Amino acid sequence: MTLSDRIEALFMSVQKPARYMGGEFNSVMKNPEEVDVRFAFLFPDTYEVGMSHLGMKILYHTINRRADAWCERVFSPWVDMAQLMRENEIPLFSLESRTPVAEFDLLGVTLQYEMSFTNILDALDMAGLPLRAADRREGPFVIVGGPCAFNPEPLAPFVDLVAIGDGEEETHQVIDCYKAWKQSGAPREAFLREAAKIRGIYVPSLYDVEYHEDGTVASVSPKPGSGAPEVVYKAMVSDLTSADYPEKLIVPYNEVVHNRIMLEIFRGCTRGCRFCQAGMIYRPVRERSMEKLLEMAEKLVNATGYDEISLMSLSSGDYSCLPELAHRMVEKYAQRRVKISLPSQRIDNVLTDTLKETQRVRKTALTLAPEAGTQRLRDVINKGVTENDLMRSVSDAFEQGWSAVKLYFMLGLPTETDEDVLGIADLAEKVRRCYFAVPKERRAPGLRITVSASVFVPKNFTPFQWAAQLDQESVIRRQQMLKEALRRIKGVDFKYHAPDVSYIEAVFARGDRRLADALEAAYRAGCRFDGWSDQFRYDLWLKAFEETGVNPDFYACRERPADELLPWDHLDCGVTKAFLRREWEKAQREECTHDCRKGCVGCGVNRYEEAKACGR
Amino acid sequence: MRAMIRFGKQPRLRFISHLDLQRFFQRALNRTGLPIAYSQGFNPHPILSFGSALALGWTSEYEIIDVKLSVPMGRKRTEEAMRAALPVDLPVLEVRLVDDRHPAPMAMVRASDYTIELSGETAQATLDAVETFLAREQVPAMRKTKSGEREVDIRPMAIALQRTENGLDARLKLTEKDTLKPDLLIRSLAELAGVEPPEAKIHRRCLLGEDESGALKPLMEL
Repeated sequence: MTLSDRIEALFMSVQKPARYMGGEFNSVMKNPEEVDVRFAFLFPDTYEVGMSHLGMKILYHTINRRADAWCERVFSPWVDMAQLMRENEIPLFSLESRTPVAEFDLLGVTLQYEMSFTNILDALDMAGLPLRAADRREGPFVIVGGPCAFNPEPLAPFVDLVAIGDGEEETHQVIDCYKAWKQSGAPREAFLREAAKIRGIYVPSLYDVEYHEDGTVASVSPKPGSGAPEVVYKAMVSDLTSADYPEKLIVPYNEVVHNRIMLEIFRGCTRGCRFCQAGMIYRPVRERSMEKLLEMAEKLVNATGYDEISLMSLSSGDYSCLPELAHRMVEKYAQRRVKISLPSQRIDNVLTDTLKETQRVRKTALTLAPEAGTQRLRDVINKGVTENDLMRSVSDAFEQGWSAVKLYFMLGLPTETDEDVLGIADLAEKVRRCYFAVPKERRAPGLRITVSASVFVPKNFTPFQWAAQLDQESVIRRQQMLKEALRRIKGVDFKYHAPDVSYIEAVFARGDRRLADALEAAYRAGCRFDGWSDQFRYDLWLKAFEETGVNPDFYACRERPADELLPWDHLDCGVTKAFLRREWEKAQREECTHDCRKGCVGCGVNRYEEAKACGR
Repeated sequence: MRAMIRFGKQPRLRFISHLDLQRFFQRALNRTGLPIAYSQGFNPHPILSFGSALALGWTSEYEIIDVKLSVPMGRKRTEEAMRAALPVDLPVLEVRLVDDRHPAPMAMVRASDYTIELSGETAQATLDAVETFLAREQVPAMRKTKSGEREVDIRPMAIALQRTENGLDARLKLTEKDTLKPDLLIRSLAELAGVEPPEAKIHRRCLLGEDESGALKPLMEL
């Protein structure tokens, strides 16, 4: 039996076999004999989650445009399939050609979320590869990218290369470098040293890390003679309009999380919310031209048959021609029954006009993210919106016929007090009053307010990278307090989670290389799919920390002093440490920093050649 | 005008459920650029229907989707547009344009032809039971229905059974009232032989309806 037959023999015994099937419309098939480089792109979560991810679509497309390379997709098999694959000795395989991952040249892994790290180890193991890069004498080089690549230290021993920044051009440079190395027949280390010369590529094995007695990092420096740079600067695409973007998208057979056309209207964000890593690491803002977006939309509608286009970015309301873009798209596609949607709406600029436009085709819950319950705390986190902005947005929405509002908050933000927590309930109550202020005959029936409160996780490369995460006991107390307060308001649904996952996330978000052993121990004890509440095993994690001599509080709950060398200081995300520090100090003084579209705030990203026009 | 499109389901895609396939076709039809007719009302949807649902894991060369067109189209152009919108593993095999009054495929189906390949230790014994099966006047079997299990006589529903090298060709009834699915047939044969059911690869070769004389004929030719 071929590997393909052996895989299919399991399909009747697992949930959702379409996850492992491949063969979707617009998936790319090539003749393996005709390509030089085979690239396996692993999304370390389920098919449904991975197929909703824009970055994977972009890289899949751009690699497959090359005649000399073939990019195929790999996802984490769900636990039922993983168990059967192990029992039947089926290695991890690619979806397109069902080739074992170990036979690829490069294994790219996207790091979207710290809680997927154990799945990466599981994938390596299922592929039959040694977990540690130093033990891999053959098989693919493992290259990681994505937001968590901005602190890859906990994964350092497991990976060969780390790609930080925009992947559109960087990925091609790595493939070119690999091709040249493969032809040269030089030893594996030679490829790593060459790749380290590519802008945005960090090779952890070429660096030595030393620690102080108190456990903090003393130094991270390139190994003598390695030629690796002291500081690794992120890769940056200067112009998004000319950057590669898929003209076709794979259309899955089963329902995935976001099953629609995703149109990235711009990258980066100018807001400067102090908790937001994406808002810092994706700077500067680069918009795609409206003409280009309309052209892309037309191609994608024709190539996929989707009936929905989602305008994607970190803050879509900030797109400079949003009303015109939304208007033109709604006009163009209403006839063809294609809906236009705007996710991540911000409360300060949800334009009434845009609301009117979008509601012509769709009316779901209005989603707003005030993040904090009081103005004081919103100033601390630099969420530049006021209660008036929020009330105006919801009033407008209720007037236009919306009746469902989702409000997103975080608990445990730096300086948070009980008053701030109760402020969330006040806001919910005020939203409720806004609804009843609309005359009965004009408002839609059935008010629903959902208050969702996540636990704040301080991330590296944000002004809060020095902050301590709130201890779990305090989080639980504040959750209960808020729950009590919200119980008194009719029509409000409160959603929150146990803080233990956020705690582990916080450990890894600002972790260093010494966490690698704990990660491996947790994986060996059975941790995987940690982001799935039905799979997460907090007890196993605590045991793994204990066994490996790691104090997780040291990483999660410790405020860092100003002069501490942080484990990621040898990486440059565009924004300078000095800027982040200034922002941290302003946060403690409850001072806001304005949106940098209104004037440069000196974040430092215009040190980059590609961004030198920024702020000028 | 309606387009009756016959397509195949190749091995690679045999695990797509009928529900997923229906959703898939909504998008595929959008890709064709054909003037698909939509229903009226608050939530318009394309006017389409299918021949007969294929069970998960089976392959076919006789799946039918029937689509209403708002503007008359040429057969060739319809076929080309469909072909471009479907993946290679769902090949377009035949297109026929029919009048709106033509009965819906689902209403025409009376029987289906299957090619069944058996494998495993009990395959031979199961096949050997075909003669016994055919010689019987009645073969009771438990059929799963919406309201539970029910005993039915499947013998008259097996219109024709023909042994092949490693399996059998079967023509089985497929109507709203009487339906015999090949997996139940194999279970019954195995039971007659007193063995565990073997592994089966099931492939639909044809859907059949009745012509004016009551003779069974391939659906696309009616």
